[in-house]
Formats: sequence, structure tokens, C-alpha cells
Amino acid sequence: MALHFSPPVLEIRGLTKTFPRRGKRPPVTAVDKVDLTLEAGEVVGLLGPNGAGKTTTIKCVLGLIRPTAGDIRVCGWDVRTHHHKAIEHASAVLEGARNIYWRMTPRENARFFAGLHGLDHRAHRVYIEELLERFGLADRGDEPVINLSTGMKQKVAVICALVKKTSLVFLDEPTLGLDIETSLELRGLLRELARETRRTIVVSSHDMDVIQDVCERVVILKEGRVVADDRVHSLLALFRTRAYRVVLSDGLAGELVERLARTVSGLSVTPRGERTELEFELPAAERLYEVIDIIREGGAVIETITQKEPDLEEAFLRVINDVAPEGGVEA
Amino acid sequence: MKRWTVFKAVFVKALIEMRRYLFNTVTGLITMYIVFLILFFGARTFGGSVMQAGDTLEGLVIGYLVWLFAIVAYQDLAWGVSTEAEIGTLEQLYLTPAGFAWVNGSFLVARFVTNLAMMTVMLLAIILTTGYRLNLDLVSLLPLILITILAPYGFGFLMGGLALVFKRIQNSFQILQFVFVAFIMVPINQYVWARYLPLSLGNHLLRKVMVEGYRLWELPAGDLATAVGVGLAYLLLGVAAFGYCVNVARDRGLMGHY
Repeated sequence: MALHFSPPVLEIRGLTKTFPRRGKRPPVTAVDKVDLTLEAGEVVGLLGPNGAGKTTTIKCVLGLIRPTAGDIRVCGWDVRTHHHKAIEHASAVLEGARNIYWRMTPRENARFFAGLHGLDHRAHRVYIEELLERFGLADRGDEPVINLSTGMKQKVAVICALVKKTSLVFLDEPTLGLDIETSLELRGLLRELARETRRTIVVSSHDMDVIQDVCERVVILKEGRVVADDRVHSLLALFRTRAYRVVLSDGLAGELVERLARTVSGLSVTPRGERTELEFELPAAERLYEVIDIIREGGAVIETITQKEPDLEEAFLRVINDVAPEGGVEA
Repeated sequence: MKRWTVFKAVFVKALIEMRRYLFNTVTGLITMYIVFLILFFGARTFGGSVMQAGDTLEGLVIGYLVWLFAIVAYQDLAWGVSTEAEIGTLEQLYLTPAGFAWVNGSFLVARFVTNLAMMTVMLLAIILTTGYRLNLDLVSLLPLILITILAPYGFGFLMGGLALVFKRIQNSFQILQFVFVAFIMVPINQYVWARYLPLSLGNHLLRKVMVEGYRLWELPAGDLATAVGVGLAYLLLGVAAFGYCVNVARDRGLMGHY
């Protein structure tokens, strides 16, 4: 039996990009020794605060920015030496750019971008119509894009990236500026597409809900470095183990609050009528027994203990703020 | 095959845009025509004082057309790059397996065809207005026009590259327009070195065909070879400068900036 070796869809090794600055000011390092491997069919969220290096990383992969150091391979093709071959497998909707021609119609745009990728639009007519239909634009496919709503324009941009049928698709802030309804609709469409096609989709967004909703893996960048690279559910689970909410049936003496504060971190005490709600984190799960002992010794009665469900935003903020979860985060 | 598909896509897009901006196209044509009328009737009235010996009004007609062709040729790419950067589509044009230079080359060919159509309309309007009968031997004229505007296209690539790095370079267009007038007007019979300037020899050969009725194969082979060599040299220098500017823009992360 013959063995077929398929290279990863994206392989980044030691990617570094520094931008020189005017005068004697030191250069800015936008991306610093980033390593990343994405396999076929993965849907990956790229997170990071402003200036973390997300867009620079994406543009280096696409060849739009020339890296200072490091290797990037798309489907095995070196972006530096074989850009034409590498770009056959990659497409993108880039943040802060229109990406499409507003004077042209969605259908004309889709045909143009298919053609720009070397795909004859006549051979891809069915696929273009299918995409327009799926994104709810079939009826407005012959209207200039300038007349469409912001959400529709963004959909056309996504269609123009998808029409190239590439193995790797970058969507940089795909829901930026969209209303909640359109954002939810677009997220649904992206989930469907990711499930049905074996494409690798990289979604870069500030909107954690989008990443949590669409992606199965998340890569967090901070100051140009990868600080976390894990499955979304694993990342959430790492923080889930240590955040608790305890409701007491009555108040809590000041002395006990002080003792608790020494045992747990991030303690918050909120009176809720006759009840008291405590929220805290534990450095280790077994230390919950100590907390229970302190409460019992203080004569308070525990009504409920719940593990707080952290969302991705919380996990992200913790990673960015260097709060290491129990067991650490894979970097 | 893939490159042909890319070429067709770029060509069709250029036609669509020309149709969408039809008003702009027509007003541009009318403006060029009015400028010509002012030049022509001005030269006819004050001919003796402004025109040098050996110059004719037919020469003015041809010189004006060559100049127009040259300025649209060199401005097309720079305007194209600036506009694409402004509307936020420039980076997408880079993401093609055919290569950025191929996309821009295809764009220029598309624009050459549309410019040729516009210039033909212009030429017919001029002939009707002036009553001059110019020799419109297309078999001789088309290759000569192509040879003549190779150099402006080289300047176009250079300016396109500069537009990638500096974005707003429209002011330098105006300076170059006047430089081109000088290139066209310089008498090449008087100054041998002038044959190596952009446009000069091509304009001289075009005049021989259109005014003196020469056919392409009746022109001196040495002149033709020099015109081709000079045109290609400027074009290749322009393309090289464009490639250099693309890399500078990629190094500095400027491709998507405006």
C-alpha cells in the first residue's frame, strides 16, 4: 500500500518581522519567532490585543509583507521562493480594506476574483451561484456592491475569498462593524462551510464570541509571540477547574473574609439580600476543602457551590495578563 | 492557461470599470479635444513665432496624439495602483498565482486597447475639424505606436512602483508631462543623442508614415531597430524599478496602506 504524505496546510517556523523606524529609534518587532502548524480542515482562531502581530503574521503568510527571518510554507510551498505556487492555496479577507470592487456587482466581483486566481468563471459558474445563494445574495447578485448594506458587502468579500477554492482561508475580522444579527448569520455560515469543506480557516477577531462559536482551536498572540495554542474547549477547561461561586444563606464575619482572602485569590463578597455570594479562584482544586472548613468554622451555611464557566474572553484576558492556569498553557 | 485566464479577468474588469465610469471617460475625451483645438488654432494664428523650421501643423497633430498616448500610458499604472490602494483592493491583486507584475501588465494591455479606441475617436474628430488628410495606414501605424509608447510604459511601471511606496505622487505626473513635450519636440536630425530619448525617434517615424506616406518596411531599418531597442530598454528599466519598489513596499508593510 502506498503511503501518501501531505504537508501541513500551513507551517511557520521562527517567523520574525521587524519594521525599521525613522531616525535613531530602535526597530519595532511586530512578530517574534512565531511557530505554528495548521492541518487540513482545522478552524483556528487567531487572538491577540491590538499590535499583537496577528495581521502582520497573516500578511507574511500571504507574501504581502516580507519577513525578517523564518520560514513559511503553504501546502509545502515556500512563500519566499515559490510565492506563486504557495498563493494558489491561500486566500484572504483582510481587515480594514474593502477587498472588493464596490462599483461592480457581487457576481462580477466573484467572477473577477475566480479569474484572478486562474479559475475560469464559466467552469465555476455553478459554484459562484451556489455561494451567492448560500449567502443570501442571489437576488442582488447583479446590483452594484455600493448599493448593498455593510453586512452584504462583507458577505461579498467572504464569497470572493471562498470562490478561489483554496485550502487555506484567512478571515481577518470578518464580523467587524456588523450588527449582531448579521454577525450571527455569518458565523453560522462559516461554521457550515468549515464543516462541509476540508478547508483550513483562520479567523482573526477581537470578538471572542465569534472565535468561540466558529473555531475549534485558538492561538493567542501577545507582543508578537504565541502565548497560547490549544483547543478552545481545553483552554476553557484549564480555567474552569479553579473559578468558583459559593452562595451562603447568611452574612459572613469580617474576620472570616480576611481568612478566606488569604486562602483564595480574586475574592469578591457580594451581599444578596440575606444571602452572601462569594466568588474566588483557587490555585489548586483540592484547596476547596480548606475554603469549606473556613466557612464551616465561621458558622455560615453553604447553599450552593458552582464552578464558574469561564468564557473565551475571560480565558483570553487571563492568558494575556500572564495568569497561568493550573497545569499551564501550551505555548 | 492560468495566466490567460488572469489576463481575461483583468481585461473584463477594465471594460466594466470603463463602462461604469463612462461619464468620466467622455469628459476626459472632450477635454483633450478642446486642448487640441486651442493648440491647433493658436499655432495656426501665431505659427511663425512658436513653430520651428520644418515643423508643420500635421506634425503638431501627430505630436499631440503621441503625447496624449504617452501620458495616459505612463499615468495608467500609477493611477491604477493609487486607486486600488485607496479603495482597499490592491493587496488582493497581489494574491494571484500569476504574479503581481502579470496582473499589472494585463491591466496595461487592457488600457492600451481602450486608449487606442479613444485615440482613434480623437484622431477622427481632429481630422474632421482641421481638414488635414493624414495617412492612416494601420499596418504601419499600430506597430509604430506600440514601439513608441514602450518607453512611457516603462515610466508607467516606475511611477506605479513609486505610487506603491509613496501613494500620492500625482504632482510628479505634471512635471513628467512637460518633459514628454520636450522629448517629442526635440529635433532628432539635429541632435544624434536625441534618438535615445523616450518618444523622440518613435514620434519622428510616426510623422514619416502619417505625413510623408512611408510604409513601415520603407523606414530605415537602423531607425526602427534603435526605436525598438530604446523602447525596450526603458520598459525593462521601469519593470525592474517596479519590482524593486514592490519589495520595498513589502519590507515596510505598505502594500495595503494609503
